[in-house]
Amino acid sequence: MSRLVDHPIIEFRRGKEITFEFEGREISAFEGETIAAALHAEGIKFLRASPGRQRAQGFFCAIGKCSSCLMEVDGVPNVRTCITLVKDGMIVRRQKGKGEFGA
Amino acid sequence: MTEKASVVVIGGGIVGTAIAYYLTIKGQRDVVVLEKNYLSSGSTGRCAGGIRQQWSEPSNVRLAMRSVRHFESFKKELGADIEYVQGGYLLLAFDEEEETLFRNNVEMQKKEGLEVSILSVDEVKKRFPYIVVDDVKSASFCPTDGHANPHLANFAYARAAKKNGAWIYTHTRALGIDVENGQITGVETDRGYIKTGVVVNAAGGFSRQVGLLAGVDIPTESYRHQIMVTEPLEHILDPMIISFSRNFYMRQTVSGNIMMGQGDEDEKPSFNHDPSWRFLTQMSKKMPGLFPFLEKVRVLRHWAGLYNMSPDAQPIIDKAEDVSDYYCAVGFSGHGFMLAPAVGEGLADWIIDGSPKEVDLSNLGLDRFTGEVKREKNVV
Amino acid sequence: MHSPDLLVIGAGPAGLSAAVEAASAGLDTVVVDEGVTAGGQLVKQTHKFFGNEGFFASVRGFEIARSLLEELVDFENVEIFQESSVIGVYEDGIPVLHLPSDTTRLFRPKRVVVATGASEKFLQFENNDLPGVYGAGAVQTLMNQFGIMPGKNVLMIGSGNIGLIVSYQLVQAGVNVKAIVEIADRIGGYEVHADKVKRLGIPVLLKHTVTRALGVESVEGAEICEVDEKFSPIPSTARELVVDTVCIAVGLNPSVELIAQAGGQIRYVAELGGYVPVRDEDMRATAEGFFVAGDVSGIEEATTAMIEGRIAGLSVVRDLKGSTDENKVSRLKKELVGFRNGPISARVREGLQKLGFDVSSGESRTGNLNNPQKYRGKLRPIIECFEAIPCNPCETSCPTGAIVVGGNINDVPVIDYDKCNGCGICMTKCPGLAIFMLQELPDEDSALIGIPYEFIPLPSKGDQVHLLGRQGEMLAEGTVQRVFRSPHKTNSVYVKTPLELADKVRSIRPVLQEDNAFVCRCEELTVSDIEAAIDEGYTDFEELRRKLRISMGPCGGRTCRLNALRILSRKTGKSIEELSFGVLRPPSIPSTLGSIARQKGAEDD
Ligand SMILES: Cc1cc2nc3c(=O)[nH]c(=O)nc-3n(C[C@H](O)[C@H](O)[C@H](O)COP(=O)(O)OP(=O)(O)OC[C@H]3O[C@@H](n4cnc5c(N)ncnc54)[C@H](O)[C@@H]3O)c2cc1C
Ligand SMILES: Cc1cc2nc3c(=O)[nH]c(=O)nc-3n(C[C@H](O)[C@H](O)[C@H](O)COP(=O)(O)OP(=O)(O)OC[C@H]3O[C@@H](n4cnc5c(N)ncnc54)[C@H](O)[C@@H]3O)c2cc1C
Ligand code: SF4
Ligand code: SF4
Repeated sequence: MSRLVDHPIIEFRRGKEITFEFEGREISAFEGETIAAALHAEGIKFLRASPGRQRAQGFFCAIGKCSSCLMEVDGVPNVRTCITLVKDGMIVRRQKGKGEFGA
Repeated sequence: MTEKASVVVIGGGIVGTAIAYYLTIKGQRDVVVLEKNYLSSGSTGRCAGGIRQQWSEPSNVRLAMRSVRHFESFKKELGADIEYVQGGYLLLAFDEEEETLFRNNVEMQKKEGLEVSILSVDEVKKRFPYIVVDDVKSASFCPTDGHANPHLANFAYARAAKKNGAWIYTHTRALGIDVENGQITGVETDRGYIKTGVVVNAAGGFSRQVGLLAGVDIPTESYRHQIMVTEPLEHILDPMIISFSRNFYMRQTVSGNIMMGQGDEDEKPSFNHDPSWRFLTQMSKKMPGLFPFLEKVRVLRHWAGLYNMSPDAQPIIDKAEDVSDYYCAVGFSGHGFMLAPAVGEGLADWIIDGSPKEVDLSNLGLDRFTGEVKREKNVV
Repeated sequence: MHSPDLLVIGAGPAGLSAAVEAASAGLDTVVVDEGVTAGGQLVKQTHKFFGNEGFFASVRGFEIARSLLEELVDFENVEIFQESSVIGVYEDGIPVLHLPSDTTRLFRPKRVVVATGASEKFLQFENNDLPGVYGAGAVQTLMNQFGIMPGKNVLMIGSGNIGLIVSYQLVQAGVNVKAIVEIADRIGGYEVHADKVKRLGIPVLLKHTVTRALGVESVEGAEICEVDEKFSPIPSTARELVVDTVCIAVGLNPSVELIAQAGGQIRYVAELGGYVPVRDEDMRATAEGFFVAGDVSGIEEATTAMIEGRIAGLSVVRDLKGSTDENKVSRLKKELVGFRNGPISARVREGLQKLGFDVSSGESRTGNLNNPQKYRGKLRPIIECFEAIPCNPCETSCPTGAIVVGGNINDVPVIDYDKCNGCGICMTKCPGLAIFMLQELPDEDSALIGIPYEFIPLPSKGDQVHLLGRQGEMLAEGTVQRVFRSPHKTNSVYVKTPLELADKVRSIRPVLQEDNAFVCRCEELTVSDIEAAIDEGYTDFEELRRKLRISMGPCGGRTCRLNALRILSRKTGKSIEELSFGVLRPPSIPSTLGSIARQKGAEDD
């Protein structure tokens, strides 16, 4: 766990504790956190395998402006997990490739 | 910059560079292409890249079939991969009128030797399960239709022509065409003067203006057409899908982006290149109804280009009456990309040998608009 | 309020200040902002700010944001939308995406203030796309917004104010900062910020850079290297640090895409951070009805952002109501001038001058005393020795007596070009390597620059080299024209440069291959991919873009466009100013078709 409790200046007010699923694993998080932040708190930094060269990528800009953190969330690919908040019961998967839509 | 050339082509789009390419491989090497901006900056770089042979006018079918043969050998002939894919073109019919039109077209197209058929709703559903077929009546399908990357094709023609000796001048604008006693003597550009006896107008959206430089009146007008592209997805769509009554076309690029567009009847003639929110709104409301997976797909970019239109929506490929050796290949509306190879070949023959030889350009003359005009119906 | 008097895009200090002025004058005002809470960069800042007393100096960043917001919420004529991104500026309106509900809303405002701030620059090194390589902003978001430690051991790249402040914040959050590496030979940020981190025992490694991130699925280490005077890594000095995070803090680019889409002119002004909108003193951009304020108009400080925001707000009031508080406007303008007066703002002043502003400075520095137009075209030395130091080899080595330091050895040298014969001996003798040779070439648009060079291998005539500026910044690529070996090892290398770079090029570096150094994350393009395409002949940025699809991915070119332009500039020898920026097409944020279909709009009013 890498969540800060005491900080000399900031007081963190966290939301309700919830759980979601990542690659079959149950992960706890707080409401108000982004998916990428919640995963990061659990030490998970590898969020997608890049479509072209199959390289491990994680989030980079944290403001939804690059494409490094695209993941599959509840079946929808290409979700920017650095700006999408976690919800209770969400199913999150590491994205491989460009993203498939269950056509 | 060269001081003289046998032929000066005005316009560095797919049409101009294809003409230059065919001129050079047929032995005419001192050819100039003038492009006021960068290569593919005009309609070519903004188009959808669809390559379709299913037309309602036989001359268009023939020209497109000839082009497809060139696209099929493009890689071998020019040594460039232009992301050419023959995934077919699916034309959806939504009412009886369209069904009848497609049936008649298919009959005519088969006579021209095209491999094409009518698909029933069930067949459409089976082969393309991502389409909501509730309102679809039937479809027309040609498996050898397809699409390619227009930038890469445009660059490939330019490079090949250059390698064969042509001069490709980008960021160079044709400002004037000197004509003495009905004979062209040279072209004034913003970077110098080029003596020449032959000019080809391949100026796309600006064909009328470039006609007037030599005093040739070409009855074309330009209209904004918009197009959008989504984030890349894994491959789903083989064919390009199009509907005239629902007013859309759509395809998936080799990189995975879904590209789609529509026409807008309220559009007035203009050179406006700005995309509008109205277009994006109309497309977003319309497309997910037929293709539900699109609902959650993100739009990545959106832009506009010009359709250069003649009164019958068919190209004008001809030699001017009053100015000798002034050729034009313009008015391509929404299908100049796919016709460019055949047009380039035909026009090169015409310039060098005095006739377009095997390429039938007979119905595409400048003088055809005096009587009743017969419009191409298969356009978006 | 879909057709408000004013739409403010961005709720950082600039946007909030503009809104306060407009709202106090009674204008219907809408503020839209991408962030979860208003405040822009301020919300992530836990340190006390510097600047002007009247503008919250010594208050912590996030508290400034709070007070500005409190000022605004009292107004009934103001609406603020958070988590709302402007999709683009269209001829028929400005649509905004509300991310949580995946819906859009269309505005048709009478006036717009664009206060979109800036985005981070990206740096190319091997494996720079590995998870654990973060921008400084991302580290701040994790740490100061979510209270999550970005890692245990961090390597910070860059010692500008942001690198220094974030390092300090990391320590406050209990994270170990292994080192701060800085490629230049001095710290970029304010001394006080530097002293703060030094006091904490964080080493600031000057003349160092990161050459590689190590690891498979995430960062496990980083390789750093000393650089030589020409900023090239010295391979023998490479060493590995065990870190799990590499934080990049190498500067900001103004976020100009919206103002560009609106048709506003933009211009490259390196001193202001990159491409900036052209605007006047009232913050009016060249697109009808559009104003700009804050970092988007040039990277500066919160204080200047707030002043500019107020000026923009008051200008909108003048536009719509026919008059405004002109006293306040001129007072604010004076404060801006005063703020930018100091030596630290020298760069900003230079940048503003390029935009056509007459900016006065507190200090004036005498450059070459003797460099008149009359010697144009003559091969001659440029002496960049301004500090009074006890030194005179230039004087004593000159065979013609052209250089005079004079009786006091502490004086700066003065040269008489009439006496100089262009031999170049002084350049090879100067221990400070402060003398360069210059000759404008007859073709009118290039110049020959002589550079003292003390490294191996010595380049040869015809070699391609990077042309670097005084800060080691890449300016262009050029060819070596002449090389002279000198017995005392200070050799002379002459390179050809575009004329406008003649007073900038002061260093060279051999062209190196970088393989997995990513320029474009979306299309996975590396430095070598881009160089290869340029070598194939795609030297027009628009053609290059189409060939490689660079800046066509989901990021919309934010991370890659400028870097690609830099590579193009160094390969073609054209300055970035000369290259076309390309088109910035909407949408600025990828939006689902569904969100666009679910739309509230100006039509509903
Ligand atoms: C949205 C859209 C979708 C389309 N989809 C398809 C499709 O799927 N399939 C298809 O086949 N076609 C399609 N088209 C049509 C196709 O793009 C055009 O018909 C084709 O590109 C025309 O090529 P061109 O070379 O004649 O014109 P352009 O590509 O416009 O080239 C003309 C060039 O001339 C230059 N020029 C103009 N005046 C001067 C001057 N005075 N001096 C120098 N240079 C000058 C211009 O800068 C321009 O680059 C589409 C068009 C649009 C807008
Ligand atoms: C680490 C760090 C330390 C700093 N320390 C100091 C200091 O000590 N003193 C000082 O004076 N300054 C400091 N600054 C600088 C200061 O924070 C900035 O100069 C200032 O915040 C700029 O204000 P702004 O309003 O122009 O932009 P920003 O604060 O960047 O705000 C821009 C806002 O626009 C929003 N936005 C962007 N695009 C869109 C869109 N399309 N749609 C909707 N919203 C959008 C963004 O989400 C953001 O909220 C520091 C900066 C950093 C990064
Ligand atoms: S170049 Fe030669 S003549 Fe000129 S100042 Fe230097 S040493 Fe003297
Ligand atoms: S030798 Fe160099 S450092 Fe010394 S005074 Fe001359 S220019 Fe300055």
